[in-house]
Amino acid sequence: MPRYGMAIDTTKCIGCHSCRVACQNQNGLDYKETFNWIKNRERGVYPSFDKEYIPLQCNHCENAPCQRVCPTGATFTSKEGVVLVNPNTCVGCKYCMEACPYKMRVVDHQLGIVEKCRFCIELVRAGGTPACVSTCPTQVRIFGDLNDPNSEISKFIAQTGALPLRPDLGTSPKIFYKRS
Amino acid sequence: MKKPGMSRRKFLIGSAVGGASVVASSYMNFEAWAASEKPVEDVKVTPTLCDGCGNWCAINVYTKGGRIWKAEGIPIAGINHGRVCAKGHALLHEVYNKDRVKSPLKRVGPNKFEPISWEQAYKEIGERLQTIREKYGPESFFLVQYPEGNAGLTNRFINALGSQNSFSHASTCFLPRNIGWWITTGNAKPEQDIEHTRFGLFIGRNLGAGLQLRQLSDMSKAKDRGAKFVVVDPRFSEIAAFAHQWIRIRPGADLALMLALANVIITENLYQKDFVEKYTEGFDEWAEKVKEYTPEWAEQRTDVQKDVIRKLAHDLAEAAPRAFVHRGYHGAMGTQYKNSFQLVRTIGCVNGLLGTFNQRGGMFFAPKVQLGKLDPQKHPAPTVPEGPMVDGSGDPERYPLTPVGLGLTHAIPELAIQGKLKAGFVYHNNPLRTCPNPARVIEGYRKLDLLVSFDYVLSETATLSHYILPESYYLERDDVVHTHLSYQSKQVSIRQAVVKPLYDTKPMVVILNELSQHLGIGEYFNWTLEEYNQAALAPLGVTLDRLKKEGVIDLGGKWEPGEPHFSTASGKLEFVSSILKDNNMPAMPDWEEVLVHPDPKDPHSFRLVHGKQAHLTHTRSINQKYLKEISQLNDMTKVWIHPARAIALGIKDGECMTISNAVGKGRARAMVTEGIHKDCVFLPSGYGVFSRNLRTAFGYGISYNDFLPTYFEPMLGHCMSNEIIVRVEKTVT
Repeated sequence: MPRYGMAIDTTKCIGCHSCRVACQNQNGLDYKETFNWIKNRERGVYPSFDKEYIPLQCNHCENAPCQRVCPTGATFTSKEGVVLVNPNTCVGCKYCMEACPYKMRVVDHQLGIVEKCRFCIELVRAGGTPACVSTCPTQVRIFGDLNDPNSEISKFIAQTGALPLRPDLGTSPKIFYKRS
Repeated sequence: MKKPGMSRRKFLIGSAVGGASVVASSYMNFEAWAASEKPVEDVKVTPTLCDGCGNWCAINVYTKGGRIWKAEGIPIAGINHGRVCAKGHALLHEVYNKDRVKSPLKRVGPNKFEPISWEQAYKEIGERLQTIREKYGPESFFLVQYPEGNAGLTNRFINALGSQNSFSHASTCFLPRNIGWWITTGNAKPEQDIEHTRFGLFIGRNLGAGLQLRQLSDMSKAKDRGAKFVVVDPRFSEIAAFAHQWIRIRPGADLALMLALANVIITENLYQKDFVEKYTEGFDEWAEKVKEYTPEWAEQRTDVQKDVIRKLAHDLAEAAPRAFVHRGYHGAMGTQYKNSFQLVRTIGCVNGLLGTFNQRGGMFFAPKVQLGKLDPQKHPAPTVPEGPMVDGSGDPERYPLTPVGLGLTHAIPELAIQGKLKAGFVYHNNPLRTCPNPARVIEGYRKLDLLVSFDYVLSETATLSHYILPESYYLERDDVVHTHLSYQSKQVSIRQAVVKPLYDTKPMVVILNELSQHLGIGEYFNWTLEEYNQAALAPLGVTLDRLKKEGVIDLGGKWEPGEPHFSTASGKLEFVSSILKDNNMPAMPDWEEVLVHPDPKDPHSFRLVHGKQAHLTHTRSINQKYLKEISQLNDMTKVWIHPARAIALGIKDGECMTISNAVGKGRARAMVTEGIHKDCVFLPSGYGVFSRNLRTAFGYGISYNDFLPTYFEPMLGHCMSNEIIVRVEKTVT
């Protein structure tokens, strides 16, 4: 069984937000609701000035705090390791929003539930890639099976030493960042 | 936020994205979720061309239950390689925008419109045009457009009316870039083989915001292969974040840097001697000329250290011929500075010194597809009126190098005030917002006896028009066959309707067919779009049915590196241009000062520069909620200012600044950043919509055009849009 994850190379991100709108369309989100963000951070003084664009979304933690606190079990981890929300059992209590250390959960005002990035699981199961990956003009994102040492993502992580955000929190995220 | 009826989200989930069968294998309650929803609705895929900007990327548009859902890129398309940008995704929603024009409109008062029938609109336009023709002649007619795709049809229309006054946005966008490359290499838009390059230099070109998706995708591949990219720009642009080095140059001094690069490459004997000997004209003369432009000389003008310039020249020369200096677009070598034309010439010549033409990883000329034409016996083409345009384009005495058919769009208001232009047609253009000094533009366009807009919303220009003939949105219409996707091989493509028109709108070709019958030029439009497209495809051995099914067809004819062929007068790359000599213009690329300078003694004095943001294009995209939300969320209307200058003015990050000059005044919040040169402030473009009929965009942000005086550069007549000096101060409340 695959264990899906994503690698993000921030040195290639230009902050164009193609991923954001591709995701919104794929998931039918309203314009104010999004599953991914791009933050930017400036550092240094010219000539060593730099600006980094950092795409952010649900990290699909192995040890997902949002899932642990969910009172109805609506947040669950699929067999592929993708953290999903069942809209029929989610009651919109927002415990998950408080629990998520990355603050990546979003209220879906249309359904009254709390949603998040779903790794476009239906596209992936049909053999495709998540919408944010296939639309990215500079190929910032690599999606694939972390269990397969020969997958592009596994090789990328091995070669570049890409790390998840705040590994110290013990959440074991499945999104890995190459940041320099 | 709960919407009445079925929400878009529910609607999409209801149709179980991608089909219930693929999700049914999940565990826990996931099956129940998928199973409990409504049956899968019809998902249909239609290949077509995006209309988010001028690139017209090839996309597959998905509909679900007849409603537009999403888009994916078509992988073989040479312009986007299967990628789609934020605009491409978001502008799908525009088809359902409430601001759309729902039927032909007649203006009956200031911002007051009355729906009328197509027949009435055609009839009244015909009558008014006839009156104007009798009084002022057809040379008082003009067309302003974004000259792509259907330009063949619209030019045919204005020519049939007896006028050659077909304007484009060129004089506010790319004019010197195209003319400069054409003079130097005989090709207005050479391509660069970014994917296989070793070194790429970008002078003011920001691919990260003035998006070109294939070039970005190639840059990503090249970066993986170890290629190096350097960006020269007064501000830290989006592509600078991608590149390896950013060189912060004084705005308008790019020419000095390029001349110094040429100086180093020549004096240190780093140029490709074989190439220069075989394929160039006038090297010795130019080599003599650039002797004076040393890195030391350039350092003073560019604010870039001489060692950095030397190193850049060495890096370029070392990678040559698998290197390029990017051909550019609007930034630096578009219509920005008085010296932009010289800059383009110099960049062409430096590429010549490096011998990059027709080399793997260098510059090349993309293969061109020749489309067929309608049978002239059955469908006569109108004669193109001879002579220069009314603005002096093509006139040997005025702007001999500015082509008829591009023209100087920002000259129209003045010509209207002088009474030389009386009736206008506007297509895919919004001169009221995209031309300098809107007050004057409005005054000019108000003077017209007849203004007709073919638009899908009431843009600033449409709001001032006497008649609005609504073109169907790009997802609702069929267009002519296109060849613009061709990159390293020949490709044809087509735009076709994905959904039926929601309102009483028509494709442009139908509007022109019908309108021409009422204007006495029906004989030139006695064919259908089908016939036009079939004639276009005839020489290619491709049927229209197949093209409609596949969207994009690759015709082969792949570019291969080898000997370069220049279609200049001499058949060589021209350091010294015979055309420029004949027209009494500087024959060799040479230093030229910019037009205006900020006052170094005045802490309030800045040059105002502008540039795009990746999620916006021109003026209509900000009326799209998904795109505006990106701007709002990330606070992207801020004006960039250097920390040292901000401190001197007492301005802190996020505080409001008042920007003013003789032309206009506006307010914007400050983004205090090291990522900009001290001499300038940066204002992102795409904002400042003042049409009240664009309800999402209205009043959000300001535009550089509000501060730009009306200039005509002496050689080509372009608008010199970065020659703006403004006074910046902290807003006192």
